[in-house]
Amino acid sequence: MTTALERPRGASALPGAATRIRTGAVQGSPAVLSIVAMIAIVILAAVIQPGVLSMNGITLMLTAAVPLVLATQAQMIIMAVGDIDLGVGALLGLVTVIAATVLTTSPALGLAMLAGIVVVYALLGFIIQRRGVPSIIITLGMSFVWLGLGLELLPTPGGQTPEWLSAIGQWRPELIPAPLVLIAVATVVAWLIARRSRFGTRLRALGSQPATLEKLGWSLVRTRMAAYAVAAVLLILAGLVMASQTRSGDVNSAGNFALMTIAAVILGGGNFAGGRAFPVGAAFGAITLGLITVLLSLVSLPSSFQSAAQGLIVLAVLAGRVITERFIRS
Amino acid sequence: MTSAPTIATPTQHPAVERIRTLWPAWGWSLVGTLVVLVAVIGVSGGSPLQPLSQALTLVPYLVLVAIGQMLVITLGPGNIDVSVGTNVSMASYASVAVGAAAGPGAGLAAAVGAGLAAAACSVIAILVLRIPPIIATLATSLIVSSATLMLADANRSGAPAELRSFVNARVLGVPLTAVLVAILTVAVVIVLRRTRFGLAVVATGQNSVAAAKAGLPTRTVTGVTYLISGALAGLAGGLLAAFISPSTSLGTSYLLDSVAVVVIGGTLIAGGRPVPVGVWTGALFFVLLSGLLNLLGLSVGAQNILKGLLVVLVVVISSAATGTGRSTVRRLRASLTLPGTTTKQRNNTDG
Amino acid sequence: MTSTETTAIVDGTRGGTALLTVDAVSKRYGKTQALSTVSVELGEGEILGLVGHNGAGKSTLVRLLAGREASDTGAIRVAGLPEGAAFTAAAAERAGIRMVYQELALCPDLTVAENAALSDRRPTGALWRRRAERRIQDTLDEVFPGHGISVLDRSGEMPMAQRQMVEIARALCTDRLRLLILDEPTESLGVDAAEALYRYLHRRTADGVSAVLVSHRMHEVVGHSDRILVMKDGSIVGQYPGGTTAESTLLAAMGGEVSTDTGTLERVEAELDDQEQPAAAREGAAVLALTDSRGRELTARPGEIIGLAGLAGQGQEGVLARLWAPGLLSRSVTVPSSRAYVPGDRQVSGIFPLWTVAENLTIAATRALGRFGFVSGARKRELASTWVDMLRVRGGAAAPITSLSGGNQQKVLIARAFAADAELVLLDDPFRGVDVATKNEIYTLMKAEARSGRTIVWYSTDNKEMAHCDRVYVFRAGRIVSEMPGSDATEQRIIADSFDETEGELR
Repeated sequence: MTTALERPRGASALPGAATRIRTGAVQGSPAVLSIVAMIAIVILAAVIQPGVLSMNGITLMLTAAVPLVLATQAQMIIMAVGDIDLGVGALLGLVTVIAATVLTTSPALGLAMLAGIVVVYALLGFIIQRRGVPSIIITLGMSFVWLGLGLELLPTPGGQTPEWLSAIGQWRPELIPAPLVLIAVATVVAWLIARRSRFGTRLRALGSQPATLEKLGWSLVRTRMAAYAVAAVLLILAGLVMASQTRSGDVNSAGNFALMTIAAVILGGGNFAGGRAFPVGAAFGAITLGLITVLLSLVSLPSSFQSAAQGLIVLAVLAGRVITERFIRS
Repeated sequence: MTSAPTIATPTQHPAVERIRTLWPAWGWSLVGTLVVLVAVIGVSGGSPLQPLSQALTLVPYLVLVAIGQMLVITLGPGNIDVSVGTNVSMASYASVAVGAAAGPGAGLAAAVGAGLAAAACSVIAILVLRIPPIIATLATSLIVSSATLMLADANRSGAPAELRSFVNARVLGVPLTAVLVAILTVAVVIVLRRTRFGLAVVATGQNSVAAAKAGLPTRTVTGVTYLISGALAGLAGGLLAAFISPSTSLGTSYLLDSVAVVVIGGTLIAGGRPVPVGVWTGALFFVLLSGLLNLLGLSVGAQNILKGLLVVLVVVISSAATGTGRSTVRRLRASLTLPGTTTKQRNNTDG
Repeated sequence: MTSTETTAIVDGTRGGTALLTVDAVSKRYGKTQALSTVSVELGEGEILGLVGHNGAGKSTLVRLLAGREASDTGAIRVAGLPEGAAFTAAAAERAGIRMVYQELALCPDLTVAENAALSDRRPTGALWRRRAERRIQDTLDEVFPGHGISVLDRSGEMPMAQRQMVEIARALCTDRLRLLILDEPTESLGVDAAEALYRYLHRRTADGVSAVLVSHRMHEVVGHSDRILVMKDGSIVGQYPGGTTAESTLLAAMGGEVSTDTGTLERVEAELDDQEQPAAAREGAAVLALTDSRGRELTARPGEIIGLAGLAGQGQEGVLARLWAPGLLSRSVTVPSSRAYVPGDRQVSGIFPLWTVAENLTIAATRALGRFGFVSGARKRELASTWVDMLRVRGGAAAPITSLSGGNQQKVLIARAFAADAELVLLDDPFRGVDVATKNEIYTLMKAEARSGRTIVWYSTDNKEMAHCDRVYVFRAGRIVSEMPGSDATEQRIIADSFDETEGELR
């Protein structure tokens, strides 16, 4: 076999930077829509309320988006292996409850419970791979388990998060809005995991064509378990960030996160079949959907309209994605 | 998907195989129903028929919703209607509001219409905008819950008396609604086995690409199936408005319950194999189990945990019992590349 | 030559050292004896051809060689591996055994380089991506000069032929190749690429690398193997030298099923005589017309068999897709209203795995089997049994479709299309992975059905098959480049026409 030093005759060079950027743009083009949508919403918000473009305004607007971005990256990893997690909302609620109760009173037990969630997620990955059962049903069932656990721990919203956690929520650097920093860190971490590491390649191979991964001697079970465990860690971080912002626990605090995260991943260029992961696109998708909620409160929509507006906007945005994809293809 | 498909299982004893082929897909849910029934009688100490008759008053509504859910799930991987819960709530208000003005029949029609309208929203999203069903029905359920809140604000009346006496009527001790829903179930069985629409639903669920290539109208079939699910959820909501009373959380439990009942009843979760009879046994099991948990005085949280775990458990166990995979297409691929799985899954080779 | 009982050591070492020894290996799947006491010895630098009908045991044998499955009895020994150690996929990998799979095994969402990195486990450090790209690119350059593949492309967006090249190059992306197993490697490759592959293969075997070549394409096996083993019913039934053996000799050794041809024809004709006289419709008006991007027209009259030829992946499948579903606004396509389609990818877009043969066979014909949307069970069974008997589908109408072999599944799919009573029947590469006997039966059926007035349009990756057509259109880059009567459609002529316009610039 030839090595890089002695190339065969007529060997072509590896693609240059320009080709790489062009290929990246073409392959990542489904994610472009999420960026366009985000800019449009920021402009709209700025027109309605010019204050949003100040440092404080950006911080306020994006605060709610931080847990959503983290949860979206988790959902992206699950969707990259071809699954869907319908339990993210309830799990985030449970994490805020744990943070506001057990983590304050007995930190060791609280951390053990959080670690237990990671183990359960790995177990879910094991079951889903070994038994070949659909993740939708399993995670739908688990969402009720998370909800039940949260209700048992804290039947009504309340509690108090530990000092250190609240401190994170109060962190305000001078030069740059804190949520932007957190969002950027979360996105880079997810990007390194899903796109740059060899594990990430296996992850996407599992979603794309599991038979191939197995033929090449990799363990499908271990890959899926690892994917679920990584997703669980990101979800727990999302829940902790959420708790740090509200400084209390509420099992229903992330009620529609399942829809929002899935929509954000799709908006950011992901697909349901699995095999794809666009962390940057997913982050923009999550920010867009987070900002929509802010925008709805800015225009003071009646509360009973709120969820309908969210549903319609998700539909509209996804429809836009479909239309742009067709446009690109033709 | 079998993770170790290279190891072919030794051929089983013929008697064992015959029992396997004769054992119906809904068999285990029937066993579960009987076990829970015995437990209920043991705890409450009443007559054996009393809990059963009580369950039969609640079961028809769950069966209505679950049959729609079953048809949707049969359409294949990724198909699920998560808007059934909110549909039931919205339809209950629609039934009462129209029923108070134009009579109970019109009220029921309005309930079905409301379900159909919600389903139409999902269908447009799925077929025209090509949004995956989970997202489409999730978004629909958000829209529907807003609509429910608005209907709830506008209307304070109760269900008409005629409708109330209708849902509480009994034929030879059996609730009339149960009889009517049983007839509907038989109709669904016939449709699935003997009509082009039914066969197309099942074919689409097994392999939607092949169904399209065989000239079946898969898109129409998909749309009609979601509409049926919406209509049945609407009907259930309209009847529940009279049986209980309209409320914004009336249908909340019907999402997980309907999926659970379908799965417990033996319907293939990957699609392509509906089991309408199993919806009945599954629903009976589930309703009796809820009664038992209430009887034992469990909290709401604990009941949620148990129900959730039950769904997970049943899905896992049934996947082992039927040897079914994630999706029929992938399973098929595996069976073609590795002849061992063919013999394993099908217990049938002719050389 | 050998029966199931005797254990003939088939020796190919030519006095040199054996790289690999298969010693009396047997393998059973349920009731099927896939391999019975097979023994093979493979020398260093040898190319071993392996031929046989579907289900003869070739695929099982190569899976065992790659360590993907364990044999029930017997042993596989590889020079350099410790004696008695379990021969697993990992052990095979360590021993330098690599396999090119018949079904395309690339992850469509991953780039070429990422796909290669999945199987190339050499330590690569933090900059693994760049190195993986370098390695696969170099391998592609070496095997298929001028391949035109970018390592950044997603494999799912590449044409079939390029994917096959990547699949081959990926298997070669290793430092220590000693045995290369090729399972139908040229099924999707164009002629040039196939030749490049064999040139490369001979270069490597000159350095001592061995190869096992499994293919339905007899001339390739004969032309490139040092030694050819013929398999039948799980045993090796013959050994022939490469290069000189006549294809007919191999076909004869594979089994006399070739003669079933006439049997099928008789059954089919008896069936047709009951229905109607063969229509002399070939002179009639065209029922089908399609215009390509430069205005050249493809037409077909009732009773004609039209072949779409050319190098693999030159837009023939696109033409079938346009004929199957022309779309609402397409003015460049005229087709009859009733059409039937036999998809090329049997696994993914063909069968309904939970159903029986009968249900699979009749689903396209349900419109004709009842009234008001209802389907008559009796008429369904009747239709199914007619076709099962006529095409001799093994296992019968009540067997689950997944219990059938690939060839028999293909028969069911073809029967489904013809049973639907469509005026136009489209077949997309119906012979992919189908053995000679089944192939002949399907030809016969196509001819008989055409005689009853149907129009048949089909595409095959094997241009030799085109001689069976009434007329042949040769495609290149999605356009029609020539049209000829079937009697003129030799492989040479088709290949010549495929290159006619822009010579040398092969995609």
